[in-house]
Amino acid sequence: MRIGDAKQSYAADEALWTSTTQQVWFGLLLLSLLLFPFFASPYLLYLACLVGIAVISATGLNILTGFTGLISLGQAGFMGVGGYTVAWLSLHTSLPFPIALLAAGLLSAAIGMVIGLPSLRIKGLYLAIATLAASVFLHFVFVEWASVTGGMAGLSLRSAQLFGLTFHNDFRMYFMIMPLAVLMLLAARNIFRTRIGRAFIAIRDRDISAEILGIPLLRYKLLSFALSSFYAGVAGGLFAYFYRVVTPESFPLSMSIFYLAAIIVGGMGSILGGVLGAIFMTLVPEGLKLLTTAITPIYPQAPVFMSPLLGVVFGVLIVGFLIFEPNGLAEVWRRIRRFFHLWPFRT
Amino acid sequence: MLERIHKQGRRLVTAAGLALAVAIGGTAAAQGESKEPIVFGGSIPLTGVFAFAGIHIHAGLSDYVDWINSQGGINGRPVQYVMEDTGYLVDRSVATYKKLSGRHRICCYYGDSTGFMQAIAADLNNAKNMIMSGASFATALTRVDKHPFQFIPGPSYSQMFAIILEYIAAEANKEGKKATVAFVYSDTEFGRDPIESSRAYARNLGIDVVEEIMTKPGSVDVSAEVIKLRRKRPDYVIFHGYVLSPINEFMVQMRQMGLNTKFMGTFWTMDRLIIDKMGKDADGFMGVMPYNYFGEDEDGPMYRVMHEQARKSDPNQAYRPTPYVQGWFNAMVWTEVVKRTLDAGKPLTGENLKEALDSIKDWDTGGIIGVPVTVKDNSFPVGRIYRVNAAAGRFEPVSDWIHLD
Amino acid sequence: MDWLFFAEVSLAGLATGGLYALIALGFVIIYKATRVINFAIGEIMMFAAYLFLSFAGGMQLPPLIALPLAVLGGTILGGVVEKVMIRPMLGESPISVVMVTIGLASILVGMAEIIWTADPQLLPEFLPRDPVFLGEIYLAPKIAYGFLIGATVLVLYLLYFRFSRGGVALRATASDQAAAYSMGINVRRVFNLAWVFGSLAASLAGILVSATGGLSPQSGAIGLSVLVIVIVGGLDSILGALIAGLFVGWLETVAGAFFGGEYRMLATFSVLALILIIRPYGLFGTHEIERL
Repeated sequence: MRIGDAKQSYAADEALWTSTTQQVWFGLLLLSLLLFPFFASPYLLYLACLVGIAVISATGLNILTGFTGLISLGQAGFMGVGGYTVAWLSLHTSLPFPIALLAAGLLSAAIGMVIGLPSLRIKGLYLAIATLAASVFLHFVFVEWASVTGGMAGLSLRSAQLFGLTFHNDFRMYFMIMPLAVLMLLAARNIFRTRIGRAFIAIRDRDISAEILGIPLLRYKLLSFALSSFYAGVAGGLFAYFYRVVTPESFPLSMSIFYLAAIIVGGMGSILGGVLGAIFMTLVPEGLKLLTTAITPIYPQAPVFMSPLLGVVFGVLIVGFLIFEPNGLAEVWRRIRRFFHLWPFRT
Repeated sequence: MLERIHKQGRRLVTAAGLALAVAIGGTAAAQGESKEPIVFGGSIPLTGVFAFAGIHIHAGLSDYVDWINSQGGINGRPVQYVMEDTGYLVDRSVATYKKLSGRHRICCYYGDSTGFMQAIAADLNNAKNMIMSGASFATALTRVDKHPFQFIPGPSYSQMFAIILEYIAAEANKEGKKATVAFVYSDTEFGRDPIESSRAYARNLGIDVVEEIMTKPGSVDVSAEVIKLRRKRPDYVIFHGYVLSPINEFMVQMRQMGLNTKFMGTFWTMDRLIIDKMGKDADGFMGVMPYNYFGEDEDGPMYRVMHEQARKSDPNQAYRPTPYVQGWFNAMVWTEVVKRTLDAGKPLTGENLKEALDSIKDWDTGGIIGVPVTVKDNSFPVGRIYRVNAAAGRFEPVSDWIHLD
Repeated sequence: MDWLFFAEVSLAGLATGGLYALIALGFVIIYKATRVINFAIGEIMMFAAYLFLSFAGGMQLPPLIALPLAVLGGTILGGVVEKVMIRPMLGESPISVVMVTIGLASILVGMAEIIWTADPQLLPEFLPRDPVFLGEIYLAPKIAYGFLIGATVLVLYLLYFRFSRGGVALRATASDQAAAYSMGINVRRVFNLAWVFGSLAASLAGILVSATGGLSPQSGAIGLSVLVIVIVGGLDSILGALIAGLFVGWLETVAGAFFGGEYRMLATFSVLALILIIRPYGLFGTHEIERL
């Protein structure tokens, strides 16, 4: 049992880790992430890479939607910008991947800012629709600007390069994706210990009040868009390196909705929530399939009936979490932790 | 170096798993040593937008595997078919591929979409451990340099268009005039696939492409497009990138206007689905099909075997749709390729299988396809033109087999 | 310029626009009364169309009975959804409520796949097949009659909201919820009523749209084009929905006919972007003044 949560300075209140125990656990987590690929099957390795990419993108969307309160249906479009940037750079230059990814993030951020421009005048659902319009425009550009994007057929990339090392399989990709994911998560966590992050939260809670408190709305809203699209761009770039092909159909609207669902299920306005949501939503289809395989020997028709259930389960998860657990998995996680902290006493 | 540790780590896990299995299962594992099965794998869309075909593809593949096993397998080795549902989503298809190929030594694989084939190509070209075909007839796959281990179990979409255009040119020649056609296709990668190459192909044959119409998926109404076509009065309209709708609307509305245009389509629209759904409106619809239809009076040993096996697996289904035949033919090609490789005494690597595939020349398919076929640029560029006879509820051949050179 | 061609295309576009307006109406009614954007409207349409397919195709009922039954089914669906999913969300942030409807959309698509399979379907014919000619101008019969039915229902709705007791209650709730409450209006019932009426319009539109466009579990995607319309017209304006519906239908058809299919969506979304910049609350929407 752990008791006592007295803090004597603001610095202590804002610290990333409040106790050594937490640091130890985090260290263990990092260690297991490092060792994981040496023991995982190709299938698990693939899923881990997919989860890593999803975590980055979901965190980006969480910055915008969860922390700043601006809904975006354009996440897939921003990822597309990142993906195409990386693809183009890989075909026309021999830049090492960190630079290509940085470029992907920056270009995506720039476009994000342009799209965020109307956010001062319109908000809420109107903004959601505006971002939807933006993703339609981006899709049009991906399809029609064939000299750069390869049109409907898309672009095939070469493997990512760094110091003569090529990242041509999942095992190596893992060591590119996972450190980046951890790094970007820590960065995101730290943003919300600074003035900028606090300003985002103030805007979410009541933008007019925030403005009266002296937060320039336009600048911070745009900053939020830029940060969020930067994350999306990097995730899209990784996506491109991972599959080594990008087409306009790689980034459909359903992808944007997937990420919205991920942060809702995980917990909006919580970095941990974005992570949990991304992991959970990526693994749900695979889990369902596992279940199907398990009951197929007993009930041979299972695959035919079980598979459409995925859509139903996806929807029920969204609705269920919103109605019964609006703070998402992050809240569930906190409850579990509290239980063990206070054990053997109950809350 | 890391890779080596990776391999050793995996081996450690495998060894531990094996020890466990031996402990539980006793010595059962020791027996199958000499007859290691040949494994066919598949990312099969049992659900999602493509489920209407996926279910039958699955049936075709599993029926074929059942049959070949009843014949003693391939060169005495049993065949195993492993698959999982993908919902027709690329990331789930890839996940399925990684999962199955991690567990089994797969030599031939069924991919469910063009997106999947493209996403997996880089991996496949690295691993060089299997060959892959599937539901995609995308022209991109005929680029041997980019897709050395993938092939199309029939003509590519461009080749399908070419076959249709050859037919149109021949018909126009008979009447001694110049034919006009219009292309109507959906604004998807699938729909746009053959259009560019077919423009040039038509020009070479002296066919006028008088109109090209791209429709947005999910648009409510096509009457504005029909009005456009009425102005041009093409002899033929070729549809591509659809399964059913909006072909029906185009046909019904254009006939209401009194046009006597002929309507044609490609593989995925050429099933009895269109007759079942459109009824007598479907009459006269034409298109290209690389295989013989199920349940016709064609002949050939393999054609008969397919019917027997289909009846055995499900006696209640009198007709099997074209995706069933497509699945069956995929497995047939795999078997042929594996057999050729084994006969040459070579291991089943991607390169050897590919070499065997390229060696297919004037191959008799036993009645699945009406003429001997030859592999060219990862594809079988062959097909025949059929026309719907709505009263009889079937497709009737109106041309000979056309083999593009 | 071929004026006859232009006129024919325009007319076809306007007829489609009439159907859009009907869907948009369903959208606006729900938003006006309950402040919920219903992303699942396309899926409600799809569901009603499948019901019609079952009644008219599977059970061989005559279309005149099947049509009202299917519309009734879709309407009940809307009412139940309001009770089970939307009411518990009262007072939550709009993002959450919107996401509930997105979740609902996913559930409905999955259910449709389970019940009716994912095969593409065509609805049985229930509209006259003879082409309609207005002078020289050809109009496809399905959309012509679809437009007529849609327009009739639109007029009925407008009359209802203008004159009936329920309509007045609905408008009162829309303009001031608290005041409506204190005047003895049963706001909960009004909320339910709004969903019922909205779903009714959507169901009817769904059947008419599927009669021309075909049907599959993914048909609900049409809801997206309607989002554009309601934003252009203003989320809470019935008049806006009508005008924007006709306009967008016309615009996308003309753009498609003159520039090619890839410009259809681009044209409508360009208009949308323009409207959002000039008039952020749509052509006829109420501009809400925010206070602390």
